[in-house]
Amino acid sequence: MATSPAFDVPAEPPYKRQKTSSEPMNPSSPAPVADLAEQLDNQERKKYVKGKKIGSAHLVSDPQKLVAIKKIKVGAEVKAFGISYDSLREIKFLQELDHPNIIKLHAVFSSKGQNLNLVLEHLPQGDLLKLVQDTANISYTPADIKSWMLMLMRATYFCHQNFILHRDIKPNNLLIAANGEIKLADFGLARSFADPFQPMTYNTVTTWYRPPELFFQAQYYGGRVDIWSCGCVFAELIARDVLFRAWPENEINMVKLICEKVGTPTDDNWPGVSKLKGYVTPSEVIPIRSKDQWMMGFRAIGETGVDLLMKMLTLDPRKRLSAEQVLRHSFWTESPRPSRLEDLPKKGGGIEAMGEELKKKGGELPNGSARGDKIARKIDFGAMNG
Amino acid sequence: MSRQAQSRPQPTTRRPADSEGQDEICPVCKSSRYLTPTLRFLINPECYHKFCESCVDRIFSHGPAPCPIPGCHKTLRKHKFRTPTFSDLQVEREVDIRKKVGAVFNRREEEFEDLRAYNDYLNEVEDITFNLINKLEVEETEKRFKAYQRAHEREITENASLAEQERASFAALQKEEREQARSRREAARREDAEEKRQLEENRRDVLNRLASGQDAESVAKAGQQVHLKKRMDRAAAAERQRQLQAASASNGSGNVVIKGLRAKQKQEPEASVDPFGGLSFEGRKYYALQDDYVWAGVQETKADVLIGAGGYDVGAFTGRALCEAFAGLGVFVGDEMDERDREKMGKENDEMATKGAEVAATKGGNAAKGKVKDVKMEDPF
Repeated sequence: MATSPAFDVPAEPPYKRQKTSSEPMNPSSPAPVADLAEQLDNQERKKYVKGKKIGSAHLVSDPQKLVAIKKIKVGAEVKAFGISYDSLREIKFLQELDHPNIIKLHAVFSSKGQNLNLVLEHLPQGDLLKLVQDTANISYTPADIKSWMLMLMRATYFCHQNFILHRDIKPNNLLIAANGEIKLADFGLARSFADPFQPMTYNTVTTWYRPPELFFQAQYYGGRVDIWSCGCVFAELIARDVLFRAWPENEINMVKLICEKVGTPTDDNWPGVSKLKGYVTPSEVIPIRSKDQWMMGFRAIGETGVDLLMKMLTLDPRKRLSAEQVLRHSFWTESPRPSRLEDLPKKGGGIEAMGEELKKKGGELPNGSARGDKIARKIDFGAMNG
Repeated sequence: MSRQAQSRPQPTTRRPADSEGQDEICPVCKSSRYLTPTLRFLINPECYHKFCESCVDRIFSHGPAPCPIPGCHKTLRKHKFRTPTFSDLQVEREVDIRKKVGAVFNRREEEFEDLRAYNDYLNEVEDITFNLINKLEVEETEKRFKAYQRAHEREITENASLAEQERASFAALQKEEREQARSRREAARREDAEEKRQLEENRRDVLNRLASGQDAESVAKAGQQVHLKKRMDRAAAAERQRQLQAASASNGSGNVVIKGLRAKQKQEPEASVDPFGGLSFEGRKYYALQDDYVWAGVQETKADVLIGAGGYDVGAFTGRALCEAFAGLGVFVGDEMDERDREKMGKENDEMATKGAEVAATKGGNAAKGKVKDVKMEDPF
């Protein structure tokens, strides 16, 4: 194709996709992606897929390569409602995203009874929450935190650049690969950016990691909701405790906690907040927490780190940093250097642990308390348009 | 001892003829080996002058005393006197100096990353040694020597203990080898005796049988067969033994240390951290984003307080709309296929292509994938 002189456009393709799948017409090329399921050893496939929600299997083409298979049971309700939104979203978005810090979905196949099976990357090292909680055995440094956060922010940035909101970022959705890399998983609540005036649900994101605008029932929001969650993860990594641990865990308590720890949202620090549907006029106004106060709790990460944390946990989503702005912050480039992957602390969990991770419904905490009725997964599908 | 040697060591002054004549006479008491065959000479590493044993006893028994050689004012102590290893005292002195220098400059070849560095080091060591031996710039050289010793105290002791260990293990290895050789010889001897004994037995057996009146021919044949079989057995056993030893030897070679330069480690200066990990979305060639668009939908959205307060980003929407509108332009599926096939040829074990890429390829309008530009995934930072 010739150059278009009118637009001064070069003829070469501007975007190169990293990988392209093979076409069936070419017999010499290896098996295409869709046939990955066929590459799985039939024996193993049967063994692992039977009865378990998750198992591992080896590829026939490359026995060294392990994959995990997540089984989605398709019950009777399928006939009435179709495949659940969670599964649909997960498949849809993971198929799109290809990034080292996002869990890779290799293929999807169906087994008998029309159960869905997702062939996922094998991540046997557990999740970030396990590392945070195991205060007795695991210790890590600010450089490790920086490394983890950097990987998380890259994944978030990549999602946002591809117009996808994750909406459930939290430590137990951050799985750890065998080489120490962090992988963002569980896209069950993800959706793509909305068009103007297209309402989204505010009942999403695990309560402790939910940003204030969602508590105020904003229906029009953007990528900054994920940044708040990332800020919560950041604070949790430093303090080794959930930042906004509201107990009992309801929205009123969460708003109270946010007021206490960050400051009360008012029209001054957040123009237009009082117009939001769920906004309650506060009885007393706590001023925005100053940097010195933040420093008290998070001195370990240094001044620049606290600066970044404050900017990620800004009440007004317009003032909160975007994923790109976060990555442009000087925190990443200043000393200490982010730990190398091989130096990061690890805690092996095995395939069972990964199974536990992936089995969890969104918005569930590992202590097993029945919280699912209040949050996340119970989504008002009418409002979704998802 | 000649006068020359007293003043300055001159390696050329030493000739075999010298040691035959003058060197056999004690410079102090002038007694010679010819008259007293038991004469023993001792030297002191302070000045390397040699005296006979009885002179040393006589002069230095009552404590330190000056060297009796005229012009040499070194104070000598009796306990420092020793029998020289070499008849040439220049060599003796040089060996002593080399020992002393070697004890401090004991770095090993493995410690160096390239040959050049190792050679430079050797050159420096030799410089110092040469200066000390030939008494050139003595003070300055001594200073260099001391400075090095101070600066590398820890490494020196480490290397010394390492060398000690190596010596010990080498000695143990040698001892073991000697032991093995001895037992092998022993075994061979036993085997020999055994063979002889059996031969004898066999012959006696044959004689007995002949005596008891059996057929001579068949008896001889049977006896020969028995003998042959036994010999074959022994040969087989020896062969097995040899193989066993060969196997154990090749196992042992596993812990043989190959000396040489240290494996090269590229110490690249670490690149500064790239927070984006090489990811770039600056690939827009077909459009430019503006801050504001005069379009009712956009303006209304911007004006809506509710939308702004919730954090909805109109810029993200317009950016996406433009991106999606232009995505797929300039993507030529055929070209990419060719390129991919080429890549696959070179890289057989190419992993599975992502499903997402396939989706993007088939549906040109898929924005997400079309935008990704040559992302280098292997780069962790």
